[in-house]
Amino acid sequence: MEQKKYWKGLEELHNTDAHQEIVKNEFSEELPFESEGLLNAKTPRRDFLKYLGFTTAAATIAASCETPIKKAIPYVNKPEEITPGVANYYASSYTIDGEYLPLLVKTREGRPIKIEGNTSSTITQGATTAKAQGAVLSLYDTARLRFPTIGGNETTWAELDKQVTAALGGAPVVVLSSTLLSPTTKKVIGEFLAKYPGSRHVVYDAVSYAGILGANEASYGKRVIPSYHFENAKTVVSLGADFLGTWLNPAEYAKQFSATRKINAKNPEMSKHFAFESIMSLTGANADERYTHKPSEAGAVALALLAAVGGSVTAPTLDPKVAEGIKKAAASLKANAGKALVVSGSNDVNVQIIVNAINNAIGANGTTIDLANPSNYRQGNDADMAKLVSDMNAGAIGTLIVYGANPAYDYVDAAKFTEGLKKVKTTISFNDRVDETTELCKFAAPDHHFLESWNDAEARTGYFSFVQPTISPLFKTRAAQDSFLTWTGNTTPWVDYLKAAWVAKLGGIEAWDKALQDGIVEPATAPAMGGASFSGNVADAAGKINSAKKGGKLELVLYEKVAIGNGRLANNPWLQEMPDPITRATWDNYACISNTLAKTFSTQLGDDYEIHTEKKVLKIKANGKEVVLPLLIVPGIHPEVIAIAVGYGRSEKTGKAAGGIGKNAYIFSSFNGTTVDYFAPEATVEATGANYPVALTQTHNSYEGRPIIKETTLEEFKQNPKEVNKDREELLKFGKDFRKDATLYGNFSYPGIKWGMSIDLNTCFGCGACTIACQAENNVSVVGKEEVAKAHEMHWIRIDRYFSGDENNPEVVFQPMLCQHCDNAPCENVCPVGATNHSSEGINQMAYNRCIGTRYCANNCPYKVRRLNWRDWNGADSFENNLYDVADMNDNLTRMVLNPDVVVRSRGVMEKCSFCVQRLQDAKLTAKKAGRPMKDGEAKTACQQACAADAIVFGNVNDKESAIYKIRNEEQTERMYYVLEETHTLPSINYLAKIRNKDAAPKAEKESAHKEEAHHA
Amino acid sequence: MHLKYESTLREPLVDGVKDYHQVTEDIISPIEAKPGKLWYVGFFISLALLGFGAFSVFWQIYFGVGVWNLNKTIGWGWDITNFVWWVGIGHAGTLISAILLLFRQGWRTGVNRAAEAMTIFAVMCAGQFPIIHMGRVWMAFFILPYPNTRGPVWVNFNSPLLWDVFAISTYFTVSLLFWYSGLLPDFATIRDRAKTKLRKLLYGVASFGWTGSTKHWQRHEALSLVLAGLSTPLVLSVHTIVSFDFATSVIPGWHTTIFPPYFVAGAIFSGFAMVNTLLIITRKILNLEEYITVGHMEAMNKVIVLTGSVVGCAYLTELFMAWYGANPYEFDTFFKYRAAGPLGWSYWIMMTCNVISPQIFWFRKMRRSVAVTFFMSIIVNIGMWFERFVIICTSLYRDYLPSSWSYYRPSWPEVGFYMGTFGLFFTCYFLFAKYFPVIAVAEIKSILKTSGENFKEKMEVYEEQPDEKFAHDVAHAH
Repeated sequence: MEQKKYWKGLEELHNTDAHQEIVKNEFSEELPFESEGLLNAKTPRRDFLKYLGFTTAAATIAASCETPIKKAIPYVNKPEEITPGVANYYASSYTIDGEYLPLLVKTREGRPIKIEGNTSSTITQGATTAKAQGAVLSLYDTARLRFPTIGGNETTWAELDKQVTAALGGAPVVVLSSTLLSPTTKKVIGEFLAKYPGSRHVVYDAVSYAGILGANEASYGKRVIPSYHFENAKTVVSLGADFLGTWLNPAEYAKQFSATRKINAKNPEMSKHFAFESIMSLTGANADERYTHKPSEAGAVALALLAAVGGSVTAPTLDPKVAEGIKKAAASLKANAGKALVVSGSNDVNVQIIVNAINNAIGANGTTIDLANPSNYRQGNDADMAKLVSDMNAGAIGTLIVYGANPAYDYVDAAKFTEGLKKVKTTISFNDRVDETTELCKFAAPDHHFLESWNDAEARTGYFSFVQPTISPLFKTRAAQDSFLTWTGNTTPWVDYLKAAWVAKLGGIEAWDKALQDGIVEPATAPAMGGASFSGNVADAAGKINSAKKGGKLELVLYEKVAIGNGRLANNPWLQEMPDPITRATWDNYACISNTLAKTFSTQLGDDYEIHTEKKVLKIKANGKEVVLPLLIVPGIHPEVIAIAVGYGRSEKTGKAAGGIGKNAYIFSSFNGTTVDYFAPEATVEATGANYPVALTQTHNSYEGRPIIKETTLEEFKQNPKEVNKDREELLKFGKDFRKDATLYGNFSYPGIKWGMSIDLNTCFGCGACTIACQAENNVSVVGKEEVAKAHEMHWIRIDRYFSGDENNPEVVFQPMLCQHCDNAPCENVCPVGATNHSSEGINQMAYNRCIGTRYCANNCPYKVRRLNWRDWNGADSFENNLYDVADMNDNLTRMVLNPDVVVRSRGVMEKCSFCVQRLQDAKLTAKKAGRPMKDGEAKTACQQACAADAIVFGNVNDKESAIYKIRNEEQTERMYYVLEETHTLPSINYLAKIRNKDAAPKAEKESAHKEEAHHA
Repeated sequence: MHLKYESTLREPLVDGVKDYHQVTEDIISPIEAKPGKLWYVGFFISLALLGFGAFSVFWQIYFGVGVWNLNKTIGWGWDITNFVWWVGIGHAGTLISAILLLFRQGWRTGVNRAAEAMTIFAVMCAGQFPIIHMGRVWMAFFILPYPNTRGPVWVNFNSPLLWDVFAISTYFTVSLLFWYSGLLPDFATIRDRAKTKLRKLLYGVASFGWTGSTKHWQRHEALSLVLAGLSTPLVLSVHTIVSFDFATSVIPGWHTTIFPPYFVAGAIFSGFAMVNTLLIITRKILNLEEYITVGHMEAMNKVIVLTGSVVGCAYLTELFMAWYGANPYEFDTFFKYRAAGPLGWSYWIMMTCNVISPQIFWFRKMRRSVAVTFFMSIIVNIGMWFERFVIICTSLYRDYLPSSWSYYRPSWPEVGFYMGTFGLFFTCYFLFAKYFPVIAVAEIKSILKTSGENFKEKMEVYEEQPDEKFAHDVAHAH
């Protein structure tokens, strides 16, 4: 069959040429995409790419910034003892204002950069305080006087000596010093004064302990401060003595006290600590039982306690709660007679006589109180000082030499002192800066900082330690002793004088060298403790106490802050920025009041109070003086008490950090004829309507019952040791090993070293020494008040303070919080650039160079320990003029304090605790060089080393001999827990639950009693 | 040829008597004329905002993120809130252009161009935040997995922030391509109508040599479908990945498996609201009421009430899970510090704006009221901004350890930065409205004969006929 052919058009039928063309090239239609010409263009594609590449590269090179050249000059002749990169340690001592801490000073390339406690000392056993840790920064204080001055103008020492020697003589010379622990310095002063008849040495303490000294004179015939032995006490009653924070030599007492607070799980025992106080002190916060009273009742409380322990006095009427507490305390004291101690923070001679009577009654003399080997911590005499001031005003003083004292700022009647000073012909100050007193003196003959000086110290009779220079004097300063010697006419340099005295005493140059090396000279065997027969007039003291002025509606009390103390170290940015252990406030003083009192000013604890840094400002009047300060609500302060910290309100010339911060509260102190009282029984407070921001690092006070804190009572723990960790049993539901069984992922086994830390909540007293130690070790930046208020502070270790229970007398717990070095760290897997990662030794590490600052890690950290460099704190970025430095921390002088083993971090970079990785590497390398495995205790973190209470244990948990392994697996299994363990972050830091020695029925009993009741009903 | 029949019951999508030429005139002529006074006022306000934003960003980059009020506890605040908010807004554009295209929703043609433009601009704004919020923005390139000589140092593929980088950049690229490919025929139209040389040149370049040949149309349609196919999963995946920023963390209030669907619903919710805001202004200023009709708005309001209710369900589910999950930290976060507590007010703003107020769109009268729609579109976006703020800040400010609890108020550079992105967005949008056809001319033409009012009127004739005749006529009509 013929295939019919249909044609579609005439073209096809006729088969034209055009049609043939189309058939041949079916898709011939030229796409309207004119491509020819593109390759023939003037600049074809390839050339274009070449040009592009070249110009980009050229622009990059041209635009590259020029790096500024910084020159490092090597030693021409290397000093024998300095090897760059290797630290040298020198023994020294912290003896400022009579506080006593033998030290080891770490120097690098000739610069002191870190202070550690000297563990050879039997008195402090290596303990340090925040103040001592911070003292190294004070060496590099930019506000220090750099040369001698006359009338404020720079001069030479020769000229100054010429004028001073010409002025001396005639009228009596008075050396006014703070407590000096150095026997040799005192000898030098003695020789100097001997040359000018009628002269005298007046010792004046900014915060006076003349009450204790006077009482001991009256009771025992010795004007001394006894040596206290808290380690021997099973019951400690503190009547307002903040012996863990600020009282006399707190590091020593914390060390002693901590020994009685460590729990041996096999035989759990601990001391019982009662506190009666007006404010919430660090010591009160650590008490097992705490009672509050008004400051004017301090004597009454002591009397009541004496009556309760069997003294022949009548107990005054007190608040029933306090009376109940006294009954309990007395019972405990009596039950532990010979193993009990009562200390009082009162500066009233009569109150201290009563306290002596109590201690006598409970057998403390010779057991917990050693009067045979007294301490020299404070020697000031308020009556002497008062006489000096009136002599000055009478024009009876020819020359006043101020040595380490600053009465124009801190004296009870500073105006009178200032007035008197004008009538003194020759006034000389040895102080290190133009402080309030130096400013008024004609001659300023600045003394060295103690880290530049030679000295000795006798803390306790027969117990010596030494001070030796760790750096050449930075400025044209001169040792005060050299000034005295020069003005005495003695040409022996002070160092030779001191050396000669000690070589004679120790019997040879070698013994002297060894003494310097050890830093201490102590009796080979501890001398026997001894009491003294009590001969105080109790009846008289009681009578005076009872007739003392009764308090008004509101009372005012002054206190010292742990970091700032009496204000001597106020120009120390580290200490200014250290959060107060109780209030968590920085950079200020304020009026501490209770929530009850706050309500009368229409503010109270709660969300509103928490979220506003602005606090209401009060005008406080007492003793005819007034200050205006913001209020701060402190749970636990007596509702009718206002407390203000001293040490603030320094003049602008004292330095950038201290100047103009807070108000001077010393104005409220008063002289009672014998001693200075640091309270005012009648105060009035009124609202001003103004607000003032206070920078707090912690605003929420409660831990909301969350199991991040675990605590129990001693009784409970004895009966049912597992109770405190009962919630950990839940974790067993996942399997035997929570680490492995509660995850879908693999488990890294950490062969070799695995670092771990244990923190005992029972012995952490919250003093904050670790915070400052960490800051010094790791170059942690200071940010200033405004930035702290924005919660931008940088501390790698903070101490969380939580209140629980009664708002007017809460229980307190301190929890040091730092990077937990989680083995399953939430921060690590969210970092987009892998800047934070895990080491094979279990350390969560930061690669600062890699960090771009997304802050995701900080958000995802359940412990909130990560700190961003919000601003350019260190000048470590390449932007000009954007440095944020409120406290001269970037002066070339101040920067000498930086630890060269740790880099400073630039703006925009996240940082956090590194477990002091530089120290760990050092310990490992030292062991490696010695060809042996690293021993437990060789690698110590800065916080661990600083802790006076040994609350922090650190080491290799893979080492079965290590302390940390034993704590976790053998000794403290009942108390050991991890914070937020249930989130499976697998922290490398464990905590040991807090145990309170409280009179509370154990839970188990209560529960069974309850059940029984229910059963009967 | 079949008759393009659409029931007269359906509302016309283009009102008035229109032919193809008239459509072109209506939409293209504003581009060829000088802009009105209002345009200049709006444009310069936007530029001023943009300038202030640039200054705020400069301030922050120069002095550090510390000038923001974020802190050790609250590492993200307005920055990431704004990021999520802008990204979310972008989603409506993609949904309209991609998913509605695949579902053959004719009404999308009136709004898709502007909605897509909105997507592009919103993503541009969103992208600023994760970059600028960095502590060291000059090192931002570290987040790119590029070969390097440092080991090499690689990015962390476990981090949701890295996924964000990929998600957002992909999203931006695809959206831009989609939008631009749609613009080609319209650019060509402008070029062909151009009376000035410059306009001819510029639109000529922009139209990539479009001639309108069948091949062009065929490829254009194919490309549209491919891009629609690519974009569709993006509608779901981008905000899912954004939600992973939170969902994969350990922070109570963030650590929630419901986040992906909840975020996507929220994104569409806020995006549609933003489309409404923009179109109500645009139709008014450019006299396009006949193309962007009340019917369009009603359709979008329906989506708003749906997604708003989905979001509401998610909120309630979260609350339920916080209780049912028996995690005390999560319980506290939701019940004590999110629904109550110092930032509780933000939660209730969110609840009111997102869940309660959109319910008025169950009423037809409300859906069809221009004033109500405009008001609600603003309210919804306020609500959705607060949703992100609530998620980020009320979770962070009071988490595990009460010692670190904090509070957060923005500082001026944070607010300035946000205002700056408004400046950027509206600067772009004003330029878009002036130089680009705000309605897809070609696409409107494609539905004109089915859904144009004057064409629909002709359908009545058919509908009156008996069924057989109707069927026959529809099949054989010319």
